[in-house]
Amino acid sequence: MDMETLLLLRQEVSLLLIALVLLLFEIFANDRNRAGVVSLAIVLFGLHTALGFMDMKEGELFGGMFRTNALIHMFKNILNLGVLIVLLQSAEWVKKELIPQNRGTEFFILMLSSLLGLQFLISSGDFLMFYLGLELSTLPLAALAAFEIYRMRSSEAGIKLILSSALASGITLFGISLLYASSGSIYYAELQGAISENPLTVLAMILFFAGLGFKISLVPFHFWTADVYEGAPIGIASYLSVISKGAAIFILMILFFTVLKPLMHLWENLFYLLSVLTMFLGNLFALRQQNMKRFLAFSSIAQAGFILLGLITGTTLGVATVIYFILIYIFSNLAAFGVVQAISTETGKEQLQDYEGLYRTNPKLSLVMMLGLFSLAGIPPVAGFFGKFFLFTAAASKGYYFLVFLAVVNVTISLYYYLLVVRAMFLRKSEHPIPYFTNTVYMRIGLVITVIGILALGLYSPIYDYIYALSSTLN
Amino acid sequence: MERILFYILALIMIGFALASVMSRRMLRSVIYLLFVLCAVAGVYFMMDYNFLAAIQLTIYAGGIIVLIIFSVLLVHHIEMRMEIARPTRQLLTALACSLGLAAFLSVIYTYDFQVSGPGPGTEVSVIGAKLLDYGEGGFILPFEVISVLLLAAMVGAIVIAKGTKLSENKNEVK
Repeated sequence: MDMETLLLLRQEVSLLLIALVLLLFEIFANDRNRAGVVSLAIVLFGLHTALGFMDMKEGELFGGMFRTNALIHMFKNILNLGVLIVLLQSAEWVKKELIPQNRGTEFFILMLSSLLGLQFLISSGDFLMFYLGLELSTLPLAALAAFEIYRMRSSEAGIKLILSSALASGITLFGISLLYASSGSIYYAELQGAISENPLTVLAMILFFAGLGFKISLVPFHFWTADVYEGAPIGIASYLSVISKGAAIFILMILFFTVLKPLMHLWENLFYLLSVLTMFLGNLFALRQQNMKRFLAFSSIAQAGFILLGLITGTTLGVATVIYFILIYIFSNLAAFGVVQAISTETGKEQLQDYEGLYRTNPKLSLVMMLGLFSLAGIPPVAGFFGKFFLFTAAASKGYYFLVFLAVVNVTISLYYYLLVVRAMFLRKSEHPIPYFTNTVYMRIGLVITVIGILALGLYSPIYDYIYALSSTLN
Repeated sequence: MERILFYILALIMIGFALASVMSRRMLRSVIYLLFVLCAVAGVYFMMDYNFLAAIQLTIYAGGIIVLIIFSVLLVHHIEMRMEIARPTRQLLTALACSLGLAAFLSVIYTYDFQVSGPGPGTEVSVIGAKLLDYGEGGFILPFEVISVLLLAAMVGAIVIAKGTKLSENKNEVK
């Protein structure tokens, strides 16, 4: 092993370095310059994100425990970009709420360690690293969800997240141990040829899937989602809804399309069933939510159902459309969460009725929110439409016409509740609308990136072609 | 002889595990758990995994149990007994658990497991070398990632401990 192969670990090492620099900053900071951590963290992480776009060679390290290729590297960049937006949108909240309590630096350290866990998770080459990545990504999140510990709901969110994630990772671990028992190896490369269809591996696959289903909040494992999103600080809720969900889907895709490929005719049915359940439950529950965070929580459950629909295919087309959809979903959901974050930090209001008449007082925010919601709903000019359209095409190309029909029904349902918010903002008048306020520079940058992302992904087709070209490396 | 020993250990494990789950007093549950962990160490000894057994005793039976006892003692209502669930609920839970157990047992007993060859050895020196090995079968990366995990866990714990207390109306900062 020499320095050049160690460069494959570049992303992870640089993340760890940023976390350590912040830790050092915390040690030497005093009350006057403590607020500087926000800018320091964002600038360092912005650099990390920008440097991440440099080319990465394909290869593996530590005897195959860690592996990376162009597809994995691209997904790491997507995660970096998403976290950068989350950090930008949370900056004002950190300054206002956390710095006076002297807890600002820890927010960034925990967020970055969780991201580090996700990076290890998606480039894991064996189940040991998979499990450690899963834990490293979840454990800091539980502390982050309970960050506003003085609020009952926040501590409740932390407890709920850690208890349900402990249960889920226990189940995953049991599944992994059964896989190990069936083949005697935990390396993906060795397992790939060794898995055959028998009751033990099927049981292992189901248990394993349950743990990841928790992260993605698929329907039988979704109970924590709404409560945690509602109680946790908004930045954490948006991180949970896009970043950790996206990474979990990605590793699920890698494992089910390669290692567990021999069981495909079984997990196809599993995905089919859960996809339908997740879409319907998420959408129907989203209809009756009044709190914006709970509303977005159920909408994100429903979106997970759509993603599962793309995974059913198991083809290169499926991989490409799912990654493309996740990318669009990250931008759209972060646009919506960003506006909720901005309004909540400024006024503390989170209910749907508070948004009535928002367009009259804060037209720009309303437009960003509308764009995000239109993209989530899949209305033609914006990116979300193409994301959903390609997903449905991928499913239809394998003959799942009835599933696509059900999905279209769900798109219609979701259109109704997304438009409810738009109607409240644009058409309703309110006695006490949210007064006009200006956003900080960080929040503006955060929102502008999401808007550019939503528009560019829909209008600039080479992005999809690039993803499609990389996706063929998986199969 | 070995077989008899194994069954004794297994009986201890199952018995105390059940007792630990069923006991309605927190402290007793913890003590029952201690016996389970010790019996697990016994199984490791039987398999000649001496180092693993020692770790099991020192970390789990020693450290973790003491930690749990501390946290139980710090809870205000230590005398509180867990409430008993409604009979229908008990019945449903019992049914679900036995169904699950039956499914797992039937799958595991019908599977034709392959006996693996001897591993690289269980001496402490071999384990130490493996932990620092960065080649095939080495564990340096997980070892280092665990240290990051522990750091993150400590930071998280400190953050939660640093938080302001709940005030009387439970909504505002003191």
